[in-house]
Parts: sequence; C-alpha cells; structure tokens
Amino acid sequence: MHIQQLQMRPFAGITLGLKPIGQEPLSSLAAEFESGSPILKEKIRLLAEQYTALRRTRGDGNCFYRSFMLAYLEHILETQDIAEAKRITGKVEQCKNTLQSLGYTEFTYEDFFSIFMEQLESVLQGKEASISMEELLSRSRDQFVSDYGKRTFAPNFALIFILFKVPDNVCMVVVMFFRFVTSGEIRKRAEFFEPFIAGLTNTSVDQFCKSSVEPMGEECDHVHIIALSDALGVAIRVVYLDRSSCDKGALAVNHHDFVPTASADESSVSLDAPGKSTEPFVTLLYRPGHYDILYRR
Amino acid sequence: MRILLHPPPRDRGSMIYAGSSERFALIISLSFALNSALFQRSMISSTAPSRKALSKIACGRLQKELVEWQVNPPSGFKHKVTDNLQSWIIEVVGAAGTLYANETYQLQVDFPEHYPMEAPQVIFLPAAPLHPHIYSNGHICLDILYDSWSPAMTVSSICVSIVSMLSSSTRKQRPADNDRYVRKCKNGRSPKETRWWFHDDKV
Repeated sequence: MHIQQLQMRPFAGITLGLKPIGQEPLSSLAAEFESGSPILKEKIRLLAEQYTALRRTRGDGNCFYRSFMLAYLEHILETQDIAEAKRITGKVEQCKNTLQSLGYTEFTYEDFFSIFMEQLESVLQGKEASISMEELLSRSRDQFVSDYGKRTFAPNFALIFILFKVPDNVCMVVVMFFRFVTSGEIRKRAEFFEPFIAGLTNTSVDQFCKSSVEPMGEECDHVHIIALSDALGVAIRVVYLDRSSCDKGALAVNHHDFVPTASADESSVSLDAPGKSTEPFVTLLYRPGHYDILYRR
Repeated sequence: MRILLHPPPRDRGSMIYAGSSERFALIISLSFALNSALFQRSMISSTAPSRKALSKIACGRLQKELVEWQVNPPSGFKHKVTDNLQSWIIEVVGAAGTLYANETYQLQVDFPEHYPMEAPQVIFLPAAPLHPHIYSNGHICLDILYDSWSPAMTVSSICVSIVSMLSSSTRKQRPADNDRYVRKCKNGRSPKETRWWFHDDKV
C-alpha cells in the first residue's frame, strides 16, 4: 500500500502494520478454553481454519448491536464501498419513515439517526489522517472516565472506538439507533413477528418492543437479529460456539446466515452482484449469552 | 399488567411486600443472594449525584420536549415554567373517578448530562401521594424510571405512566417497606441509585 493511502486511512494502516489493534488471534480463544470441553476445543480448531481473528466486545447486553456496528463500519472503512453506503443510507431513510408512520415523536429518534449517518460518513472519508498511537491511547483512557454509568468496561474495546474516532457515548447512541431500527421493523411487520415473540416471551409485540428492544442493555435474540438485518438489508452470519455436537460424522461449527428478506430493491442486487461474494461480511461469534466479531482468513 | 419494582430487602427473613405474590418473592430472594455484594457497595458509596451541565444533545432534546409539551401537554399535568431546563417541576392532578381525584401533587424531574441516554430522576415533592408504590420521601417504584427507561420515552410519556399508576390504585397506603427504605435514603440518595427489584403487581 502506498504511503499516501496509508495517510488517508490511518485505521487500515495500523491494521496492515501486522498489529491489528483490538483484534486478537483466534489462538487467544483456544487458550481460554484450554482446560475446557473437548468439543469446544475441537470447534475452536475448526474455526481457526476459516477465521483469523476475534474482536471482543463488552458484555453489557448491547454486545450484539455493538458488534454489528463495529463490523459494519469497519467493513465500509476498509472497502470504501460507496455503493453500499448509498444503499444503506436509503434504508436508514426508510427506517425513519417507518418510525414516523408508527407514530414515534420525531425528536425522540432524529438525533440517533443523524449520529449514525455521521459515523458512516466519517469512515468513508477517512479523514483525520495523523493521530499518533500515544494520542489514541491517552484518548482511550479519557474515555474510561467518561464511560456511561455503571457498566464494566473492556479496555481493548475503548481503543477500537478511538481508532474509529467514535467516543463511547457516541457508540451508545449508535446502539440506540439500531434499537430504534429494530423496534420499528418489528412493529411494522407485527403480524410476521408475533409468533416468534409469543414463543420467546408471553407479551404483545408492543410490550416486547418497549421492554426488550428499546431499553439499553436488553439482550438480542433471533427476533431482533432478523428485524435488524431486514430493516437495513445487511446479511449477518452468526457462528455458534457451543457444546452441541451430532452423533454421526465429523464435528462441525454451525452457523446461521440472516439474509435480509428484501427482494425488490437494490439491496439484493448488491448482495448477489456478480463477482461479489454472497457471504455476509458481518460475521459474529456467538457464545451463549454473548456476541463478538470474527474476522475471515 | 405493569411490572413494578421495589428496593431489595436488607434482611431476607423479614421480607414483606405490598401485594407481592410468592412467585415473585422467590425471584427476589434468589436475585438478592446473587447481587448482595453489589448492593452493599452501592450502599456505601451512596451520595447525591453531582449535577453536570446538560450535553448538547440533551439540551437540544429538552428544548424540543418543552415545545412539544406547550403544544400538546399530557392531560392532568401542568409544567411550571422556569428558566431551568435541567429541572422541571410538574403539577399533577389526580384523574376524575379515581382515589386521587382533584388532589394536586408536584413532580420534580431532573435531567442528567446524557439525557435521554440516561433516565431522568423523577420524584414527588412533599407530600407524595399515598400509594402502594410511592414512598413517603417521594421515590416512585416504576420500572420505566430505572432499568426499563428508553430514549424512545419522553417526559410526557413518563407523566402518562405515572397518572395511570395512580389511577389504577385501589387503596391509599404506603409500600410495606416504606419506613426502612426512607431511613436508608436519609443521606439524600437518588432513587436512581437504589437497586430496584422486579415486583409484579396490578396496581
């Protein structure tokens, strides 16, 4: 890579400098489970055939949204895929209209939408070329102090956000943006989601959105992932690391691809475009109760 | 059915809850065992939260809420206009046909630096209404003010929840653990520092 390009994209520069900040090699996962179940150990070995690294996110109930945001913005940052950014901008606009037609007061969600758009623009332009490592580190320490509320804080996570120039409070705002988007999609297609929700909890769609989607810290289930993936038209792969195994045949690591249902619009075109991989570019590792980000070989 | 919260008992043996069912009492005692360490810590470090100025987002949002309130105030509520955006005093009149009909109370709503990401602090000023989920120090046991708060809510929607909580009450009385809880809050502790516990009730 040319020096000029490196200057334009500091994050990519650091990543390519053989020392991806915040990412951990998959061997760290193996070390974590060294004395664990043989099934898990074997699955981690299989995982390492396809994936090189893992990025851990804070376990505060927002980990799915946070992982999704990071993986998505990082993808845009690295690919500078303007067509994708344009596509999602259209989707975000649709989501805004959804909330409006559902009767949400505009001022409750508009700030969250515009801050997400700012983040998207900032990774596209790759500005602020020269931030030294020392500066990044010291800024990240400041972030510890100004962290929201009482939650615990994972150090490497703070660092990632500084690399993205996203302070933690902004990160929480973006998590809330995804919660709005998810809630809007579930309410818009209440009939479709109702049976899923009935299977999960014993509540109405409205109550579910109010108590399990919109408040910060409420964890994400399949229903939420389907809704978010559909609403934004972004496919998400979730790789499951658990102790399940089947009796016959070799052990395999299961994954599930959440592929957005949207068909008539440009999102499907972008996904199936010739020469492009149809594999989702957002890949998350699920261990019961928690999501982290996985990086492909 | 609304989910309400009450603070955890200090002593598991003497736990009595207004209208609590055994089902929930069980959950409370289990979670108490799990969280007692955290709870103890919050007891020691309890001080009134330091007031930081509103963030830019908070300021903008509150100005919009104020305008919306002026155009379309929730019925039964009156905002006493002051020049303080960060602390609102709201007058509540009990709805007709309820135990609190024609009674007037005052709510104080204080907004944190990062409103609406963080919930506002909402308390009744003395004298707080007699209600099974309202403590005599004005603290209100209502989930949306704490764990279930969401930035999708507004001061106006909080008010609607509070009036519905008042309206559905069938007896005018304090929560069973009122005295103990109020004693604990003597140092001026905010209700947001209380670890509230799930407690289901029809009121």
